[in-house]
Amino acid sequence: MTNILEVRDLATHFFTLDGVVRAVDGVSFDLARGETLGIVGESGCGKSVTALSILRLIPPETSRIVGGSVRFDGRDLAALSETEMRTIRGHRIAMIFQEPMTSLNPVLTIGTQIAENVVRHTGVPWRAALDRAREMLDLVKIADARRRIDEYPHQLSGGMRQRAMIAIALSCNPQVLIADEPTTALDVTIQAQILDLMLELKEKLDTAIIMITHDLGVIAETTQRVVVMYAGRKVEEAPVEALFAQPTHPYTRGLMRAVPRLDTDAEIAGRRPRLQEIPGIVPALNRPITGCAFAPRCGFATERCRAEAPPLITTSAGHAAACWETARVLEAA
Amino acid sequence: MVAITDDTATPRTEAPAATRWATAIRRNPTIAAGAVLLAILVSLAILAPWLTADPLKQATINRLRPPSERFWFGTDQFGRDIFARTLHGARVSLIVGLTVAAISSVIGLALGIVCGYFRRIDGIVMRVMDGIMAIPSILLAIALITLTRPGLAVVIIAIVIPEVPRVVRVVRSVVLSIRAQPYIDSAIAGGTRGFKLLARHVLPNTLAPLIVQATYICAAGMLIEAALSFLGAGVPPEIPSWGNIIAQGRSFFQIAPWTILIPGAFLALTVLAVNLMGDGLRDRLDPRLARRM
Repeated sequence: MTNILEVRDLATHFFTLDGVVRAVDGVSFDLARGETLGIVGESGCGKSVTALSILRLIPPETSRIVGGSVRFDGRDLAALSETEMRTIRGHRIAMIFQEPMTSLNPVLTIGTQIAENVVRHTGVPWRAALDRAREMLDLVKIADARRRIDEYPHQLSGGMRQRAMIAIALSCNPQVLIADEPTTALDVTIQAQILDLMLELKEKLDTAIIMITHDLGVIAETTQRVVVMYAGRKVEEAPVEALFAQPTHPYTRGLMRAVPRLDTDAEIAGRRPRLQEIPGIVPALNRPITGCAFAPRCGFATERCRAEAPPLITTSAGHAAACWETARVLEAA
Repeated sequence: MVAITDDTATPRTEAPAATRWATAIRRNPTIAAGAVLLAILVSLAILAPWLTADPLKQATINRLRPPSERFWFGTDQFGRDIFARTLHGARVSLIVGLTVAAISSVIGLALGIVCGYFRRIDGIVMRVMDGIMAIPSILLAIALITLTRPGLAVVIIAIVIPEVPRVVRVVRSVVLSIRAQPYIDSAIAGGTRGFKLLARHVLPNTLAPLIVQATYICAAGMLIEAALSFLGAGVPPEIPSWGNIIAQGRSFFQIAPWTILIPGAFLALTVLAVNLMGDGLRDRLDPRLARRM
């Protein structure tokens, strides 16, 4: 498998009145063709900014990509002109957002919005684009596509709107689909349907997916490989089974302990353990961080952690964590 | 995996046209009332030359006649038929109101979108708009009219200029809020930019509040025209406009009140009709209220 997307040392900074915010601070990962990669982390850890940086959509007034490179299909996206970038967005790399309720233009019909994307990127006549729109609505399993195509977003339910968003995003057969919290605003049954749909379409269309979420359940269900981010940095990367079997970074462990479980032994004993939160708060990103960003909240932290940023240490095939104390962490499991 | 089907496929029956109209009127009584009133006034204005006598024909023998079978609305001090003059005056008022609303909407929409979208120009344009708004509109209109030869076109331009900033402010604020909407980000992430983004995604979403604003400006335009004509700074006195009729009847108010009451009532009714439509449309187009067509 070859990589469709290679992100190297990506750094995106926001220049604010409170100083430079290092929203993304040297993040690297690869995405293979047809692969599903999860990016997980809590709010404000730089997940979304990473995604927007790939498409060069960060607000130019306040922010800049200050370092690193993004190679898509062998081409350096930073070197492309804005016009060339526009032919990539929505065509080769598509993105869907968190808010299905507001991510569709309220005054245009669903069919028009899909067809416009098709016409813009492939230049086919409008009629052919509308046929494509109908085909896409069938593909995302919106019942009665023939009628829905002429409906406005407010006539659709939240789940259907997210399906319509997916239909727009996939209408030009993109090689990469970036899904930024695609199911966060939906209730759980709809969530499961949408995730199933995305995976099914991924197989059908051979699209690679970057699934950005804070929901470990979504990660476990949908992804093949996972990048865990904390404070703008990648702290762990692993195949999804390895991550859940043996989380190596203390932050990943903290995240997993913060998920309620239904199957614990404690249930049998008649007592459910209290959910554990990670003590402390996320560091302010507008001051330089020396050492490991997680050190102030970490039970394993040593002097070395506070003084020197840990490199990514590979513990097993494809599994790496940015932690000096991996040996002790694994032992404590 | 379970096959996913969406559920809300309710069969839609096409109601007969008459029933649909009845439903539309029941749902929007204000719009319907305004529209009916306005339709009557517009047809009277259009049909004025066929319905009435010559509004300029003087007959001193008939002067200051009260309303009667022959002169429905009475006559003025030159014996001119007030009915004819009022209906012809409706033409002036409606032309001024609609033209002012149309022109100021177009100019205001263009400027508002530019201001809301291109933030660099915003400061300059908005300060000019604030400057115009600081001058009372009637005063500004009088100043503009005294500088030129009187005429309908001049009156319209003089009313449009002070109304434009009001439209610009509304459109600009709407554009600012639209810019922050996820569907704009979504469109940009899909590769849309520049003119297309403005034309397809920003502009259509500003139309609802713009239409509402336009109805208010139409009403305001008619009132300002009447005020200007009353003050003698509006349409030339040989054209019968409601303001002119009232101005000329003013000195005879106590002995011939119909000379000013009737055109005044027509002015009030027209403004009411337009404002009713405006209020109805505002309720109808407000995104916070359920939109059911």
